[in-house]
Amino acid sequence: MEKTSNKLKAKDFITIGIFTAILFAVEFAFGMLGYIHPFIVAAYVVILPLASGIPMMLFYSKVEKFGMITIVSVLMAIIMFVGGMGYLGAPLIIISGLIADFIAKSGNYKSFKKIIISFGVFNLWICANYFPILVTADSYRQDLIDGGYSAEYVSNLFAAINIKTIGILVVLAFVFGCIGAVLGKAVVKKHFEKAGIV
Amino acid sequence: MKLDPRTKLFMIFVVSLVVMMSATTPFLWAIRLSITLIPIILLITEKKYASALRFLLAYGTALVLTFYFLSAESEGLIASLLIGYCGIVVQFMPALITAWYVVRTTKIGEFMSCMQKMHIPDGIAVSLAVVMRFFPTIKEEYSSINDAMRMRGVMLGGGNVLKMVEFRMIPLLFSCVNIGEELSAAAITRGLGGEAKRSSVVELKLGVADYLLMTFLTAATVIFVMFKYCL
Repeated sequence: MEKTSNKLKAKDFITIGIFTAILFAVEFAFGMLGYIHPFIVAAYVVILPLASGIPMMLFYSKVEKFGMITIVSVLMAIIMFVGGMGYLGAPLIIISGLIADFIAKSGNYKSFKKIIISFGVFNLWICANYFPILVTADSYRQDLIDGGYSAEYVSNLFAAINIKTIGILVVLAFVFGCIGAVLGKAVVKKHFEKAGIV
Repeated sequence: MKLDPRTKLFMIFVVSLVVMMSATTPFLWAIRLSITLIPIILLITEKKYASALRFLLAYGTALVLTFYFLSAESEGLIASLLIGYCGIVVQFMPALITAWYVVRTTKIGEFMSCMQKMHIPDGIAVSLAVVMRFFPTIKEEYSSINDAMRMRGVMLGGGNVLKMVEFRMIPLLFSCVNIGEELSAAAITRGLGGEAKRSSVVELKLGVADYLLMTFLTAATVIFVMFKYCL
């Protein structure tokens, strides 16, 4: 076993796996709402950071070692790929995870300010899933219509997410990531630190 | 019939790849359908009749609805909900069926040994194995929490969205963390994380069926891509 305590161990890998599963379950549950109306797809940048704040803050305080967020992002990229989200966003997901990891590391995984920023950056992975909408806009639009979506849904989707709005969406993802971190931390404090789980 | 986990992973890869590219002509639909049918047939050979039938029905219904009753011009609430439902099913069902088949029929030992053979870093392999096994657990825990809440007469959390999320998420996290501790204790006693290179009880070998299936899947993908982008 590694001597230095800041290397990931078997136990940490299991924790990472569990929290990835929880994160994905949360994402999936709220992601289904997107089929009701395309504007909800754009609103993921607000909904998902808030909802995933609680498990992720618990996760940040459980592992505290470099690599934890990177592995989560790699797993998310794999799951997104298997789920039919495409390969275009996958590298972006991993990059945002890696940067988030570095930011949290610079605060030694203890500094709460750094964790807030780190979680904000991590949430940019949500925007990575919009990537095919931006890059391959025309063929993607045709793909969706052929795939059985109504023209109304598709045009609304493209009205909500395009080159002009992506900047706003990225900023929103970051801001709500930070808010989600603060909220999540408060909940973790309220429930888990009192119970002595952290 | 017993397939090598590597073949199964390859199948997931191929199905996800094909699902991503939309089928535009009847010929492309035929390829896509045949690729979707493979995991269903495999489920039947594994004697999982009920789930095979369920997947077949859900996918078939969605297909029929998409092709005969709905079009890009459909409007109205019911139509848009139906389009949403069919959109999910037609788009993601093939990947879902394949993933479900792989998770249900691959033992964790086989999976780890396969990951070792493909030289995937231990960290990714272990985490991925845990993710694979953990979805059913989450579902189970979640329904227990719901039962407990119903017993106490807490239905939706009083219409407060924050409370609704909190009431469900906190107990879920509690039990998941505990299960995680147990899981890692169990894994470490079995030598996970030790320095020696672990051996595996399961010997993996590619058989005839594996090669056949891989050839078929590769061919189907190549033909799909060719007909979609080159013609």
